Amino acid sequence: MNIIVSCKIVPDDQDIQVASDRTLDYSKAKGTVSTYDLNAIEAAAQLAAAVEGSKVTAVTAGPASVDDSKLKKNVLARGVDELVMAADDAYANMDAHATAEALAALVAKAGDWDVVVCGDGSADDYAQQVDVQLAARLGVPVVNAAVKITPEDGALVVERVLEDVVETVRVPLPAVVSVTPDVAVPRIPGMKDILAAGKKPMEVVGAGGGAAASLETVACLAPEQASRKLEILDASSDGAVEQFAAALKAAL
Amino acid sequence: MKALVIAERSDAARELAAGARTMADEVVLVSFGDAPEGIADKVARISVPEGAVMEDAADTVSAVFDAEQPGVVLVEPTRRMKIVAGKLAAHAGTATVTDVLGFEDAGARSLYFGGVAERVQKPVGDVAVYTVAAGAFEGAEPSGANAVEDVAWVAPAHPVELLDRKPRELSGVDLGKADVVVAAGRGFAEEADLDLARALCDKLGAGLGCSRPLTEGVDWLPSETYIGVSGLMLSPKAYVACGISGQMQHMVGCNRAGTLFAINKDKSAPIFRQCDYGIVGDLKDVLPRLVAAL
Repeated sequence: MNIIVSCKIVPDDQDIQVASDRTLDYSKAKGTVSTYDLNAIEAAAQLAAAVEGSKVTAVTAGPASVDDSKLKKNVLARGVDELVMAADDAYANMDAHATAEALAALVAKAGDWDVVVCGDGSADDYAQQVDVQLAARLGVPVVNAAVKITPEDGALVVERVLEDVVETVRVPLPAVVSVTPDVAVPRIPGMKDILAAGKKPMEVVGAGGGAAASLETVACLAPEQASRKLEILDASSDGAVEQFAAALKAAL
Repeated sequence: MKALVIAERSDAARELAAGARTMADEVVLVSFGDAPEGIADKVARISVPEGAVMEDAADTVSAVFDAEQPGVVLVEPTRRMKIVAGKLAAHAGTATVTDVLGFEDAGARSLYFGGVAERVQKPVGDVAVYTVAAGAFEGAEPSGANAVEDVAWVAPAHPVELLDRKPRELSGVDLGKADVVVAAGRGFAEEADLDLARALCDKLGAGLGCSRPLTEGVDWLPSETYIGVSGLMLSPKAYVACGISGQMQHMVGCNRAGTLFAINKDKSAPIFRQCDYGIVGDLKDVLPRLVAAL
């Protein structure tokens, strides 16, 4: 089975700071594979392991900074055989429509493919739309919210968890399947995996024209801090715990 | 201008139709079955064939879109409807603005990086597709004659086949609905100490949540109780942060709480600059005394 997994490189959200003017400061936030895409990579690797002779190709499109050897090895050390990346500043801050266009061009390079696996949503936008837009562009069906993928001849049986039901569906291949974080626990690559990753095929291309933006960001600011009472007590002072308890009771 | 509303549940259909009324002269509702009374000018009713999944109606919805030519499309943000919204946006050559919290003059407001920021976006083209969170149109009332029109099913080229469907079993407390939430953080040195937080929960009738370190790596609490960036975003009446330092990645999940309480042994922890009432002390000392005092 020829499996493609798509992933996004985002600034590490644990290191994003909020500046005094409420704008986001990414200067300390290194690029990292978006959290839920790690589950998608693992799901792709496990699907490949279940079908003999499978190959996993990872695709990603982003600004020039995503072309980073540590990042590339991090993807390739997770059961991925090959990486095709489009790295160009024209691919920064893309919406789902533009991302699907960029990814479709990379998928076309992978030759005959059976399934594209996507993550649940990216750490920055979490729009849950790239899987759908990509499927529309590729002219294939899409199934989202997958927690279990079982290969059949020419199809996948997918268990998916929706808001209030659990569904089992059969989707004909080729198809796009997006997975929830529960689908598979991402592996922690060992030193051997990382060394081997450096020797795997990786192709980096530029922007093929660049996709037009459909959305314009007017503002992006951290929410204003609610004003709080800031009454801080010391537990060792007399009556402090009782005072704290009284305030807590009053708030209920 | 005309608005198209797409929803699978009747409460969302009502709310979005009410919101659509504030944005457009004419409201057309796409319904998958019977629509609530009197909420739209026109109802395009789609019957999903047996053995099909509802989101395979996307091609049928696109046909309705082509016939109606709306300027704005409001969609319920469920998994299924997100597929319909995405297919429709692809069909219209745009991208969906998802999980909109509210509309303002400049554009639609939604969370960015799981709530680290709020972003206002507007579509560049003639058509706007939004998925809209519950509560975005508070106070708006729907109206309309609900002229029902049955829409012919457009079969998708590669249908998804439904094999089985069963209700989902949800476990535990719904922290989103809890009036009081106690949150445990890295300040708990051992898993057994969480019983101190549980005792406080029992006393307050509170739900127990946590910050990221307690669900990632140590697995002391289930991942669905994680509060903060890409986890739960809560607004309970009272929030008691125990052993939580107050990093922004956690605080975005609780900073809309009515009254915010903090217990931490480090008096310079950032949480003491963001709470209503704080108490500096060790959890093992303060929690039992607090439970006794309540």
